[in-house]
Amino acid sequence: MRSSNTMNFLMGIYILVFFTYLFGPLIIMSFTAFNSAEFPAITPWECFSFRWFNEGKIAYDGQHLAGLFTDWRLHDGLISSLIIGAGVVCLSVPIGMAAAIVLTQVKSQLRDIYYSISIMPVLFPGVIIGISTVVLWDRIAGLGGGGFISDVGRNGIFLTILAQTCFISTYCFLIFVARLQRFDQTQEEAALDLGATQTQVFFKILIPYLAPAIASAAVIAFLASFENYNTTVFSILSDQTLTTVIASKVRLGISPALSALALTIIALTVIAAVTYEVLRRRQERKYIESQEEFVKEKAASSRVNKEYKARLKIPKGIVALILLVIIGSYVATQVVKNDLYGNSCIEAADIIKKSKFLDQLQTLESNQLSDEDLQGGSLGGNQDYGDIFGDPTLFQDFGGFD
Amino acid sequence: MKSLFFTQPFFQKNGKSVALFFLVAIVFWFIFLVIIPQLYMLDLSFRANIPPLERGGPKDFYTLEHYRHFVFGSKTSADAYNFVDLGVFGRTIIVSIFVTIANLAFCYPIAFYIAKIATPSTARLLIVSLIIPFWINELLRSFALRILFANEGVINNVLTGIGILDQGILFITYDVGLYTGLIYAYILLMMFPLYNAIESLDVNQIEAAKDLGSSTFRTHWRVVIPHAKPGIVSGCTMVFMLTVGALATPVVLSSPNTLWFPQLIYQWFNLNDNWSRGSAYSIILLIVSVVFVLTMMRIFKVRIGEIIR
Repeated sequence: MRSSNTMNFLMGIYILVFFTYLFGPLIIMSFTAFNSAEFPAITPWECFSFRWFNEGKIAYDGQHLAGLFTDWRLHDGLISSLIIGAGVVCLSVPIGMAAAIVLTQVKSQLRDIYYSISIMPVLFPGVIIGISTVVLWDRIAGLGGGGFISDVGRNGIFLTILAQTCFISTYCFLIFVARLQRFDQTQEEAALDLGATQTQVFFKILIPYLAPAIASAAVIAFLASFENYNTTVFSILSDQTLTTVIASKVRLGISPALSALALTIIALTVIAAVTYEVLRRRQERKYIESQEEFVKEKAASSRVNKEYKARLKIPKGIVALILLVIIGSYVATQVVKNDLYGNSCIEAADIIKKSKFLDQLQTLESNQLSDEDLQGGSLGGNQDYGDIFGDPTLFQDFGGFD
Repeated sequence: MKSLFFTQPFFQKNGKSVALFFLVAIVFWFIFLVIIPQLYMLDLSFRANIPPLERGGPKDFYTLEHYRHFVFGSKTSADAYNFVDLGVFGRTIIVSIFVTIANLAFCYPIAFYIAKIATPSTARLLIVSLIIPFWINELLRSFALRILFANEGVINNVLTGIGILDQGILFITYDVGLYTGLIYAYILLMMFPLYNAIESLDVNQIEAAKDLGSSTFRTHWRVVIPHAKPGIVSGCTMVFMLTVGALATPVVLSSPNTLWFPQLIYQWFNLNDNWSRGSAYSIILLIVSVVFVLTMMRIFKVRIGEIIR
C-alpha cells in the first residue's frame, strides 16, 4: 500500500500547514507583546520587556503609548462589556429556554414556521441587527419626549443588550433544543401522577434536567456578547465596549499593547481548555476504573481478575511542565545575563535611536557662525546695514499709504 | 388559541405562571427584538433623510431616492450608474463566494481526517486545538494578521532581511491581508458542520466503495460528499453570510482605498449621518443574504432546520 502511505504523508503535511495557518499568526503576535519596540514586530528585536503589559511607554517625542494595565479606555470598555454580557445572559437564556420548551408543544404543522422565525436572527448580518435596533429606539426616544424613555432609548449599553439578545437568544435556543430532544417525557407524567402541579413539574423536573444546558448557554451567550463587534459598533452609540476600543485603536495605529491583550486572552483560553480537557479525562478514567472494579467484583474466576501491579506513573503533562520550567529558566538567565531585558536595555535602545537625532543636531550646531563672521568677514557681516531703526531721518519724507 | 397552535392546551400544560413567562419571553423576543426593528428599518429606508424635528412635516414623504442612489448615483454626478457603490457591492459578493469556496476546499480534507481517519484521542486533540483560536476576538485575530502583513510587518521584514526581496510587498494595499483574514475568520463555521456530517457516515460504506474498485476521488465524489451535503450547505451558508456581513476584519485589514459593503453602510450611518440611506443599504444586504439562503435551500434541497443546528 505505497499509495496509502504517500497519501498519509501528504495528509500529515497538509494538517501541519493548516494548523500553522491557524496558530502561526497568533504565536507571532504573542511574541511581539514582549518586544519593547513601539511597533509590534519580531524584527528588529529591541529588548525583552513586559512594558506593554504594564505601563506602556512615554516616547522621547512626547507620544504616550499606553500599556495594557494603564489604559483607562480599555478598562472602561472592559467594564461596559462585562455589564452588557451580564445583561445579555439574563435576557437571552430565559428567552432561549422558553422558546425551546414551547417548540416541543407547538403543533407539527406550525413547527417549521416557528423554528424558522427562531433561527432567523442568526441569518441576519450583525450590522443590520445593530442598525435596526438603533433606528427603532431613536424613534421611540423621540416620541417619548424628554423623560425616562428618551434617556433609555439613547443609552448605548441598554441598546446593545437588546440588539445582542436578539441573535444570542437563538444560540441559547439551539442549545436548549438539543438538550430537550433527549428529554424523557415520562418523567413529567410520573410527577403529575404523583400529584405535582404543572408549576412544580417545571421547577422540579424540567429545570434540573436543563441545568447543564443553562450553564453552557450562559457561557456561550456571555462569550458571544463579549466578542461581538458588528452589532455593537452601531448600537453602543457614544459609549465604548472592549471591542470598539480595540477597533478604534487598531484603526489609529497599531500598538504592542494590543498584542499583550491578545496574549492575555489566549492564555486564559488555553488554561480553560486544558482544565476542561483534564477534568474530562479524569472523569472518564474514573468511570473506566469503576467499571473495572465492577467486573472484578462480579468475576469470581481469576481469569478476569487480573492482577494490577502498582506502577509508578508519571503523567505526561507534568513531564512537559518540568521541561518547560527548565528551558524557561535557562532562557531567562541567558536573557538577563546578556542585558536583553529590563530598563537598562530599553535605555540603551533609546540612546541608539536618540543618537541619530543627536548626530543631526551636532552637525547643525557645528555650522554656527563665529563672532568674526558676524562682524564682517566673508559674509559681509551685519554692520554694513547699520541700525536703520535708530535713524530718525530715515522715514522723514514718507507720506504714508494713501 | 389553545387548540390552534399547540398540541395541548397551553396554560393547562405549563401552569399559569410558567405559561405566562413563556408567552412574555417569546413575544418580547419575536415582536420587539426581531420583527418590529426590521420593519421600522424597512420603513425608514423609504423615507427622505430629514432631521428629527421635521418628522411628520411636509418633507417627511416616502421616496425611492436611497435605492435610486445605490444604482444610479447622486443626481449631480455625470456617470450613468453609481459605479463606486455598485463596485463595492459586487466585489463584496464575488470575494465572499470565493472565500466560501476556499474555506470548503481547505476544510474538507481536515474534517474528513478528523472524522474518519484519526484515532479518537488525536481527533479530540485536533478539535480542541481548532477551537482555541476562535475563542479569541475576531478583531484581535485580524490584528495578528495585520502584524504579519503590514508594510513593515513580519513577513516583509523577514523576506527583505534574508534578501529574497529588495522592497516589501504591499500586502495590505493589494488586499492580500483582507482575503487571508476573511478566510481565517470563519473557518471554524465551515469545519464543524462538515465534521458532523462526515462523522455520521458509516465507515463500511467507504470500505464497500473501495472493495468495489472505486478510486479515492470517486469514493469521495459519490459516497462521502452526497452524504455530507447538509453539512456542506450549512457551512457554506454560514460562511457566506458572515463574510458578506463582516465588519471587524475589513476594518482592520482592508486597504485604505477599498471598502467592504458593511463599511459602506457604516459610512452612511455614522460618518455621513444619513440613517435612511444606511437603512436602505442594509436592506439590500439583507435581501442578498435571504436570497442566498433560499437559493442554497432550493438547489441542494435541504430544509432550513438542516442549515442551522
